[in-house]
This record gives sequence, C-alpha cells and structure tokens, in this order.
Amino acid sequence: MRSTTKNPLLKVVILGDGGVGKSCLMNRFVSNQFDEHSFHTIGVEFLNKDLDIEGQTYTLQIWDTAGQERFKTLRTPFYRGSDICMLTYAIDDKMSFKNLEMWRKEFAYYADLKESNQIPFIVVGNKSDVSSEAREVSQLEMETWCNENSITSCIETSAKSASNVEEAFKMAVQHWLRLESRADINETHVNDTVDLSKKIGDSNRMSCCVGGGAAGDDDTNN
Amino acid sequence: MEDEFDDYQDVFSQDGVLLRQAPSAYIQYINTIGTLYIWETLENEACHSKKRLLEWKPNDVTVDSDVQDQEWAVVNTVQKRVRTLSGNLPPDYYARLKNLKINFEDIKSFRIANKSRQLTFFDGTSDSICSLLFQHGNCEVLVSILRSFLKFGPSRRDKHLFVIYDADSPEYQELNKTFAALDFKNENSLWTLFKNIKEHPYEGSLEAFSKVTNYVYRSVDANEAEFLQQDDLNRSLSEIDDSSTVHSGGDYELVQKLPQLPKRKDFPRCRPLTEEQWREQFNYEGRLEDVESIKTLIFRGGVTPSIRKEVWKFLLDYHPWNSTSAERQKCNSTKSEEYYLMKLQWKSFTKTQEDNFSDFAQRKSLIDKDVNRTDRNLDFYAGDNNFNLTTLNDILMTYVMYNFDLGYVQGMSDLLSPLLMLLEHESDTFWCFVGFMNKLISNFDIDQAGMKEQLANLYTLLAFIDPFLANYLETHECANMFFCFRWLLVWFKRELKQDDVMRFWEVLWTGYPCQNFHLLVGVAILEQERGALMENNYGFTEILKHINELNGKLDMSLMLNKAEGIFYQLKESDHLTDNIRFILGLPLLSQQTSANHSISPDSSANHSQPRCSVDHVRISPESDEAVYDRSITTNFL
Repeated sequence: MRSTTKNPLLKVVILGDGGVGKSCLMNRFVSNQFDEHSFHTIGVEFLNKDLDIEGQTYTLQIWDTAGQERFKTLRTPFYRGSDICMLTYAIDDKMSFKNLEMWRKEFAYYADLKESNQIPFIVVGNKSDVSSEAREVSQLEMETWCNENSITSCIETSAKSASNVEEAFKMAVQHWLRLESRADINETHVNDTVDLSKKIGDSNRMSCCVGGGAAGDDDTNN
Repeated sequence: MEDEFDDYQDVFSQDGVLLRQAPSAYIQYINTIGTLYIWETLENEACHSKKRLLEWKPNDVTVDSDVQDQEWAVVNTVQKRVRTLSGNLPPDYYARLKNLKINFEDIKSFRIANKSRQLTFFDGTSDSICSLLFQHGNCEVLVSILRSFLKFGPSRRDKHLFVIYDADSPEYQELNKTFAALDFKNENSLWTLFKNIKEHPYEGSLEAFSKVTNYVYRSVDANEAEFLQQDDLNRSLSEIDDSSTVHSGGDYELVQKLPQLPKRKDFPRCRPLTEEQWREQFNYEGRLEDVESIKTLIFRGGVTPSIRKEVWKFLLDYHPWNSTSAERQKCNSTKSEEYYLMKLQWKSFTKTQEDNFSDFAQRKSLIDKDVNRTDRNLDFYAGDNNFNLTTLNDILMTYVMYNFDLGYVQGMSDLLSPLLMLLEHESDTFWCFVGFMNKLISNFDIDQAGMKEQLANLYTLLAFIDPFLANYLETHECANMFFCFRWLLVWFKRELKQDDVMRFWEVLWTGYPCQNFHLLVGVAILEQERGALMENNYGFTEILKHINELNGKLDMSLMLNKAEGIFYQLKESDHLTDNIRFILGLPLLSQQTSANHSISPDSSANHSQPRCSVDHVRISPESDEAVYDRSITTNFL
C-alpha cells in the first residue's frame, strides 16, 4: 500500500446484488487481478488504493459488502461516512439492474446523508464483456434510469477484461469533486474541481456516461 | 401500531435512532436503527395528569411473525430483575419483545454525550434503561420536547447528566415558583431537608440531591477504600450486564481491580479417534456401546480421515447414535428415496412455472452464482463443467424445497462443500447437510437475530475473560463485534484450510464441552490478537482489516486448546454470572439454589447463599470525589 497520510481519504462503498462482480471490480482496481471463481463475500471487506487525478493523489478506501438482502442489518452500519456509492449491476442480469432502486434507497437511508440532493452515486454496469446475446440491459436503459434518478455518472465496465474499471473509480472521484465544489466553494481543492466541471459541462448534457461493449443493440430484450 | 395505543396520541417521533444499549432482552435489537416516539394519553376526565411514554421501535419490519408486532413490554425495574432468571423464560420470550417502551415515571435521569448524538436514560438505580444514538441530526429536539413534560436540570457533578426532579423535590418546586406557597407543616421531611440545606449547605444539598436521584455522592475516604476491597464489589466488576463497567466509556474509567479467574490449564489436542477405537465400540447388532466416550475422543482429537465418512453421519444426526446397522441401512434407503422425491419436485418445474415463481427463480439464480464461486481453488471443485459443482447445486436446490421458508442464504454453500467433498454421495450429503443446518439455522434468520445474538454473546464472553480488550473495543466503536461476522456465520470455514475445517467442525459437532464452544474459540483468537489490536491502537477499520486478514494464519489446534482452557476457567470461576452460564448452557445459579433444597449439591460451584453484588462503580475523573453509582441486586430473587 503506497498511501500516505497526506492524501485525502475517500470512502467508496460498492453495492449491488449478489454475483454482479463487486469484489471483482475491487480486486481488479486494487491489485489488477481477476478470478472468476473467487469466493462470494461474507460480511464486509475493504481495500485501500491510491488514485491520481489531475496531479492530486487520493486514497480510496473501497468497501465491499455481501449482496444478499438477508444481510442488510449487518451491512448498513458501514454506509455511514461514505463519500461515494457505486451502484453496481451486471448487464446480463436484468434483475440486478431493477434492484438498483432498492440499493439506492438503502444507501440514502443509512448513509446519514446531509443533503439528499448531493448524493454521491455512480452507476456501474459490470460484465460488459458478455456477448450481445447475453446482454439484458442496454446502455440506454442505464442512462434513462440515471436521468430519472438525477444520477449524473454512469459507466459500463468489465472486471474480467479490465475494461473501464480504473475509469469507473476515476469517474467516481471526479463526481465527488464536483459535489464537493458545489457544496463548499471554499474547499482547498476547488481549483481542481472547477476545471473538471467545465470539461464535463462543455458537452452541455447532464449525464456523463461511458459505454463498454456493444451498446444498445439489444433493446428488445426485456 | 395505532391499535396498541388506543388511548394515546403521538406527540413526537424521530427516525434514524440506533439502539446502542438496552436490557439484555432486547439484545437482538442492539445496533438496530429504529424510530423514537413520545406518546401521551388523550384528554380523559377520569385521569388528572396525562401519562406519557417513550417508545423505540426497530425499523426492520421484515420479521413476518404477527406476534412480534403485537407484543411489547414495559421496561421497569421488575422486568430487569426477572431477566436474571432467563433460564426459565419461555423459548419465544425474546422473539416476542420488540418495541422498547419506557414510562416517563421510570426515567430518573439522562445523559447526553457525543455532541448531542447519544442519549442514555437511567432509572435511578445506576442501571441505564437504554442508550440511543441519533443518526439523523441529534437529540436536541427530543430534549426540548422532554423539557415541556418534565422538570430537569444538570447534575452538579456532570454537566452532561440531567436529573429529573420529582414533583416533591425542592428543585421542582423552585421551578414551579410555588415555593412560598408550600405548606411546610405538612411536609415535615421536606422542611427538615431545607433546614439541613440552610445549616449545612454542602451536605444538606447533597442529601437532597441523593433523594431526588438515588445517586450517592461521597468523597473517597477510608471507608470507601475499604468498601472497594470488599469481595462482592470485586465480583460485581466482572458482571457483564447490559450496563456494566466495561460499557462505561467516555468520561468514566474502569476501576482496575478485577477478580481473578482460575489459572488457565493447557489442553493439548489428542490423537484422532482411530478406526480400531471406533470399531470396537459396536456390539453384535452394530449398535454403538459407549457413545459418550466416542464423543469425548472426537472432541479431544477429531476423527481419523479413513472413518470420517461413517462417523460424520452420526455427528450430523443422519444416523441415530443408538441405531443398529440394520436400522441404518433402512434409514439410508428411505432417506435416499425422500431426497430424490424432493429433487424431482424442482427438477420438473416448467419454464412457465419458474417464471411465475419469482421467489424460487431468485434463489435458483443465486445458488447458481454461488456454487460457481465456492471452494473452486480445491481440486475437487476445480475446472469447468465439474460434476461436483452440479451435485453441490442440486443439493442446495433440493434444500430449498426441503425448507422453503429458509431457502438459500449465502454461506450455506460454504457449509455444504466440505460435506460433499468427504461423503461423495448425493443423498447422504444432503441429509448430513440438513443435520448441520439444524445446528446453525439461527445464523440464517431473516432478520439476522441469531447472528446479532451470537455477536453480542461473543462480546459478553470476551468482557468476562478479557475486560481490558473488551473495553478497548467498546471505546473504539467495535463492541458490536461485526468484524467477527464471517467467523461465526460459517464456523471459521473461510479462515481455515479445508483439512482444518473438517477437523474443527467434527470437534464442534460433538457439542462438548458446552454449547456455543465456537464462541470461546473466537475469544481465544481475539485474546491472541489483543497485542496487535491494542498496541497498534487500531480503530474500527484497522481491526476489521486485521481480523479479515487472519484467514489462513490460524493454528486451529492451539485455538481449541486455549478455548478449552477458557471453558474450564469459566466453569471453575466463583463469580460466573447467569448471563455467561446461559450462553454456555451451564446450570444457572438460580436453578442451582432451588435445587439445593431437595438435592445435595455435587459441586463447589453451587451458591446456596444469596449473594449481593454491586453492579458497577464509576469514578468521575473530573473531581477528586468519587461518584458511586450503585445498585444492589441479589442473585437470589
């Protein structure tokens, strides 16, 4: 672990149904490893990883939880104090996408958020490596859902092929920076954030979504 | 909810209130978030003053038992005395309790801590009624509401402690500005009190204060020092109750004089049960002669791998211990038939049936995902299209049909995997798995009540064995023991290598030397790690990380050795509380005492004398005066 105490520490919680690849995303990002057959998570685990954004190093403390509904009461105490929440689903699992709503609510309720409109969510559609036949959630559906829920950042990733994984975490931090800059313009890192916001604002759209594999070609699959 | 309060109206509610401490009957709701209400009686001519009460209700209403929502109990002093006799409680006692209700009359004082985020109510006998953590905002609104119903002011000794004034207390009268109108002639005691205050302002007001609050404020003098040394007090310091010493964090210090536990003995593990020892126990019918000695041998050293297949079927209640070989043969065939019948049920579902049965489809999907990530590092389950994975899947699916209410919960595949690996027989494995699940079924409760209870019990045991470590965890927000969740859910399966898992489980399955022995193993591990945790001054996240990273590093024989040593320390300890006895399934003091009347005691552990104990002593560091906050309880009630 290279982290130094000087870096800002951001707590990132990965949420989503069982088997969508939460632990795999974390392990790919932190140690660039992937094991399709790694154990499902019991309880909670976390790993630290440094991430450089625009010259500033952030230490990400990434929390990985057990996805089954049953473990809710033992999972939710860990939400408090989170800076970012990654709502994760698998693009070949419609149900996991439908359950994002449940996860969003659960997090918002237990995270003790100060302001409900400043919710640090980012949506991650994992397993973008699957064939287009296996895809059950199109990128358009993801973007629509995000817009409906005022979530401005979403991305498709593949922990297996390492596609967009680091980008997802970067996007999460950038998203956090935007929120921070809005929440308190006197923050020290405001200079970084203003630039970033402009960059994104230039495209004149609310969402900032990045696709992974073949996108939107399977809309009929409901 | 409204049904319960026909005559009451809701005057205040606040959500996001976490139950931090409560009477042990509510242990399953500790660290649960709920809503706090104030109820008051509707206008009623028959009743002059309105009755008011506080109620805390857990949010999680997923428990589908109707009984739980209907019944709730009043917390009062009587309730708490009854609790020590928990051995006699009906089995569903805990399940029936739910909403914590406190009558305003029972609140004698409350303490605000943690920047107004924590509020603890006291009943005046030093026991806290409950402690609440406000997750949304703070308790200031609640306190201002309370101010409109109750008269209170800050304690002299502790500005965060607020004392409720009784209607006949001087402070109350003062506040009501009716002092001058008092008829002193009819208030002899009150008059004497004021006279005292006038003549001896310091002592007098102390006396008045003590009358109001039942708190005793005295300086530490020779008598107190003597008092401290009394044996009963020493005993009481280890009484780990819902509000005892080690829970007092923050401004209070633990009085560091602790009772001695008996010396810990060494219990090295023995040779595993051999095939010869096993075979010679069967009589001509194939019935085991001396089951207890077999179990003892297994507890001491496990089972030789060559006979595991056979022995596990007994340990997991598939084959009854007193069965003959003929009976076992019959059992195998009838149970096999039953298994395949249940398997056929889900196998023959049509696609439409599945689509219209989302509960089933969800379980099927999760089983499929989890089977593909269970023990895949072992040769037995390695590789694609491994047939053993199919069997693992089929057994879990059939278990869903066998116990649909439970279905499939993550962790179950971990429990099944070693069984299948050893037995390599589908229906035998299924029934052994059923036996294993019966032992651990409460780990998978829908509301996780069983896990919460176990985590709380683990803390209770640790606090008795190692109060300093327990206190450290408490002050570092770790008293919930969440970091031990994985240990307990799957009986250390994720922490040990497969060979060790098999050895460890077969030892635990004997049920020796007491129930919940696995919690003592947990205590042994924590004790071993105490240096690492405390010297590095680890906080919540570091502790979680440290414990998670112990996997693969634990010496199971050593841990069993230590855990057995701890068990005998507890058993032979002369100050073992009913609380601990209840967890370990040892005879309760109360039961022993009643037994003494008819049966002669067979052990020195019996206490035929009623024992007084002081629940806890707190010393305020803010002054040179000690604040004793005592309650005398007897275990003889």
